[in-house]
Amino acid sequence: MQTPSVGKLIAIVLSLLVGVAALVLRARIALPAKDDAAYASIKKKRKRFMTLGVLSLWLFSGLLLGLFRTESSKFEVSISPTRMELFGFSVSSSVVVAWIVMAGLILFALIVRIFVLPRFRETPHGLQLVLETAVGAVSDFTKDKFGRSNEGLAAYFFALAALFLGSAFVELFGLRPPTTDLTMTFSYALVTFVLINYYGIRAKGIGGRVQALMKPNAVIFPFKLLSDIAVPISLACRLFGNMLGGMIVVELVYYALGAFSVGLPAVLGLYFNAFHPLIQFFIFINLSLTFIGEAVEEPA
Amino acid sequence: MTDIGLIAIGAGLAVLTGAGAGLGMGIATGKAVEAVARQPEANGKINALLILGLALTESTAIYGFVTALVMIFTMGK
Repeated sequence: MQTPSVGKLIAIVLSLLVGVAALVLRARIALPAKDDAAYASIKKKRKRFMTLGVLSLWLFSGLLLGLFRTESSKFEVSISPTRMELFGFSVSSSVVVAWIVMAGLILFALIVRIFVLPRFRETPHGLQLVLETAVGAVSDFTKDKFGRSNEGLAAYFFALAALFLGSAFVELFGLRPPTTDLTMTFSYALVTFVLINYYGIRAKGIGGRVQALMKPNAVIFPFKLLSDIAVPISLACRLFGNMLGGMIVVELVYYALGAFSVGLPAVLGLYFNAFHPLIQFFIFINLSLTFIGEAVEEPA
Repeated sequence: MTDIGLIAIGAGLAVLTGAGAGLGMGIATGKAVEAVARQPEANGKINALLILGLALTESTAIYGFVTALVMIFTMGK
């Protein structure tokens, strides 16, 4: 910890005092009834004290944390995550974080299965309603795209969505999310590719699947083959690019704010770790199901 | 021109794909807004189609971005 200069020490103490004083003063101004004449002005005054208090406490925390900082003046981000040694294998941090996310999800599923499920009622409310809505939505969506109801496929995509959401969420804890690793997204896309071909061959046979590639004319066979190969690559690159872009922006904010990055990255995280990943995962699952449905559809 | 200078120029050229993506997405959003203004009760379906189309169109810009990243991080010495 660096010893602060006198000026910095005064700033730290002053910001703490101003922050606490502003919040205490705000608590002492009572809010009158709603139809009172002075309601609006008192509310505005309370809001001003709240803003002053929060800003001042933010300054205090930034200055205090700045004392503990080691010098890291270069902005580093690498396209591949750090690797670590585990039982003689060299695994990347994405795999370990994915294991952590999986452990959390399995624990949650076990708890729900053992403690919550036996207590379900005929008319749902609370957690039961949320779970039933989510499962129903994914199941209907799968049936819509696939043609028939396929519980195994719906369950796989629900689990994949849960894994994706968990992966995006761990960025709030400071870990590098696994979806920013091209190898991870490529593995997810490869599973989709295997599923497309499995369902295609099961529905039409190998001959039928190759026939579908020659549909209007046998000349376009190489082009259709190429676009079939491009499907998993495009899925992987889209997810990877979007997630990496979001991560770079958040890292830049952390680097720019330095020790003052106390509340602001969490607000940004509302977009970059919740909304944006949600849309990208929805697109991934939507496109996977569309291509699977396309592989099994009967020629009209 | 140094090695890293050429890599930087290449990366900059790769990200120009964003221009086409932005143009396409703007036109698509405009048409979606027109469609909703014409028929407000189809709002939900148009919204879903719009989001799907935007994410797919954005992927061309993302391809350029990923190409630039791969160039910067793997072609240096």
